[in-house]
Amino acid sequence: MTKTFITIIAATLLALGGFAVAQDAAPIESDAVTEAAREAAAEEARSREAFRSLDEDVQTLKKEVLDLNRDLFLLEEELLFPANSQVAFFVSMDVGEYFEIDSVQLKIDGKEVANYLYTAREADALARGGVHRLHMANLKTGEHEFVAIFTGKGPHTRDYRRGATTVFDKGIGAKYFELEITDRVKKQQPEFIVKEWE
Amino acid sequence: MPPGRSILSKLALLGLFLAPLAFAAEDAREPVVIKDPQYGEVLYYFYQEDYFPAIVRLLAARQQGQLDDHAEEAELLLGGMYLSYGHHLEAAAIFENLLAGNVAPELRNRTWFFLAKIWYQRGYLDKAREALGFIDGDLPQNLRSEASMLDAQIRIAAGDYDSAIARLSDWDDPTEWASYARFNVGVALVRSGRVSEAVALLDEIGRMEPFSEELAALRDKANLALGYALLQDGQPYAAKEPLQRVRLEGPFSNKALLGVGWADAEMNNYSRALVPWMELRGRDLLDPAVQESMLAIPYAMSQLDSISQAADHYLNAIEAFYEEANRIDQAIERIESGDFFERFFEGDRLDSTGWYWSLEDLPRGPETNYLYHLLATNKFQEGLKNYRDLRYLLRNLDTWRDNVDVYDTMLDTQKQKYARSLAYVEKSLLRTDLEDLVRQKLVLDAVLNNIQQSRDWLALSTQSEFDLWTEITKIESNPALQADLDEAREVRDKIDLLKGVLQWNLERDFNERLTGVAYELQDTGAALIEAQRARRKIDDAMRTEPARYAALSKRVDGLSPRIDGIAMRVDEALGRQRAFLQEIAIDELQVQKERLDVYMIQARFALAAIYDIAATSEEEASE
Repeated sequence: MTKTFITIIAATLLALGGFAVAQDAAPIESDAVTEAAREAAAEEARSREAFRSLDEDVQTLKKEVLDLNRDLFLLEEELLFPANSQVAFFVSMDVGEYFEIDSVQLKIDGKEVANYLYTAREADALARGGVHRLHMANLKTGEHEFVAIFTGKGPHTRDYRRGATTVFDKGIGAKYFELEITDRVKKQQPEFIVKEWE
Repeated sequence: MPPGRSILSKLALLGLFLAPLAFAAEDAREPVVIKDPQYGEVLYYFYQEDYFPAIVRLLAARQQGQLDDHAEEAELLLGGMYLSYGHHLEAAAIFENLLAGNVAPELRNRTWFFLAKIWYQRGYLDKAREALGFIDGDLPQNLRSEASMLDAQIRIAAGDYDSAIARLSDWDDPTEWASYARFNVGVALVRSGRVSEAVALLDEIGRMEPFSEELAALRDKANLALGYALLQDGQPYAAKEPLQRVRLEGPFSNKALLGVGWADAEMNNYSRALVPWMELRGRDLLDPAVQESMLAIPYAMSQLDSISQAADHYLNAIEAFYEEANRIDQAIERIESGDFFERFFEGDRLDSTGWYWSLEDLPRGPETNYLYHLLATNKFQEGLKNYRDLRYLLRNLDTWRDNVDVYDTMLDTQKQKYARSLAYVEKSLLRTDLEDLVRQKLVLDAVLNNIQQSRDWLALSTQSEFDLWTEITKIESNPALQADLDEAREVRDKIDLLKGVLQWNLERDFNERLTGVAYELQDTGAALIEAQRARRKIDDAMRTEPARYAALSKRVDGLSPRIDGIAMRVDEALGRQRAFLQEIAIDELQVQKERLDVYMIQARFALAAIYDIAATSEEEASE
């Protein structure tokens, strides 16, 4: 009986394979020991192959879903905002001193179209150089006006609220505006600078 | 645009695979200015670690040619995000093209090392080896050791034991890696049939002075393996020493206590053997060593002639094993039903995919208790990540499927609106002869030119001035005024004076009026040009819009079958992934169940033997 018990436990020890931190080595001399270890290794190899085969399928599916998402993203944009009438408003930050953005409000031709409250994670992404697409609109050709207002907290939790008004002429083709919150103009005074891309 | 971070720092920020040192170094680099807002938008999601939307936006912007100013860094960023998304094959394809010339060697080497590790964990041994081959130059010391270890592990896994032994044997690292290396040499030696060499190595590891918890665990493991090896080889006295070197509290203590007991039992010292075995009684019954001790205790008691006590213990053991085996059967049933894996994701927001997701809480339930060790293995964890990623993909596809109907409606609405506008525009165009207006404008240009050339000041008179001039010339032509009379002369003088004043005024205002009219004609010309341009656009739109709508319709129509097709395959892969996880979980439970069955048979056999001995003794006594 003794030997049987020991064999069961020893076999368990041998069956473990792989990385040093997670496995046991093998006891003494006998071919059976080596054989058991090799069987465990062969089983590992079979399992590894099965995993790889599944993983390769998952990789292919991930690529297909990404491609689909890309196509749908573009289709959605084309449907909702055809290039001829598209106007996009982006928010970015270039603030040297500590500044925590709370919200940005946007009005186009007197009508409020966006009032976005930033989460801490989003505000951090902006502070690190990310650019937020605040609003997309379809506008007819001709003159338009937008007003952008941001609120936030500067050093010593001082509240800031600044705005900028821009009149622009919408021609044919997409137009992009960047509403950049910067303190480069007046030191330690964050404010909007509006930039335009065609 | 705000200054962003350099290409390299973006790559460096990608995640866990880079040490904090790299972050600091890369952040100190000169920032680059973001020139394409779409690129900045990608970064916005990237910095929030929302890799899936960030990748989608990057792919879309790239297809639209909106990342021209950031082409290379966007590509590197994409590679890094693919890694985070768990899309390692695509990531590697990018890195193979770009890493060589674009990033610092240290970062490049770290990236290949990270890929090698992922591939090893996922069973891509060939690719893992290839990735290690891309490492050119030195890695930091800690990674260098890990990379060498990884290289040896890949060789062991691939069955290339001799080269693994050769690589690991001359390890001169002063860190704990040297101990891991020796241990792995032991593994390779056993597998290649050089068992006695492995034993010597285990003894060496078992005697080391550990300076960390990990090393202490490694030492325990080596001692345990060595102790059992010696026991199996019939050397119980020698086996006790390594087994007693195993710590009393730790993952290997139960097996060590069991082994120490067996060593004493082998030397016929059963009362001493009972000491460690009785210690095991109060421990977790799920541990095989504890299970085995439930048989070992009555075995020792029977050797000590405590037959009645031994019988009681055997009966207890049979009952406990039976209940445990039933519970394992139930656990297998629950796993087969599929519920078990769903419970891993209860409360999971499923808002991301990829490497960095990890199980925070194991699901509660008996299955978890039985599978605790399996759940901690790479194979299970990586499989679970794939399972979760597939669920994410399926949910993503479901969301899009709902949207397709919306697109269809939206497109129909746009087509209807276009049809209405077209009817109105066509009607308006019929009313307006733009070419005739252009001809009229040209005639007016000629007239104005004549007026200018001939200084026809009367042509630019106002209606009242013209009427006055006509009236005066009409009066002037009256025959009565030709009479040679004083009155007639007086009127003729007045007429001359009036004409002179009027002509004077008209000639004085001629240039100003001419300029005014010229400006008006110019404005008219500009308006006509604008009208012609608008007309051309309308003509273009009338020509291209139907084609655009047709193309959009085609794209929308193709969506449902495409989504359904992918969803079907994702669903099927999800099923296979679940089956894979189920299989390894059930295999693990079957091993436990079979062990209990063996123990039960042994306990029953021993009990029968005891009863037999007891009956024989009674018979002998009665005789």
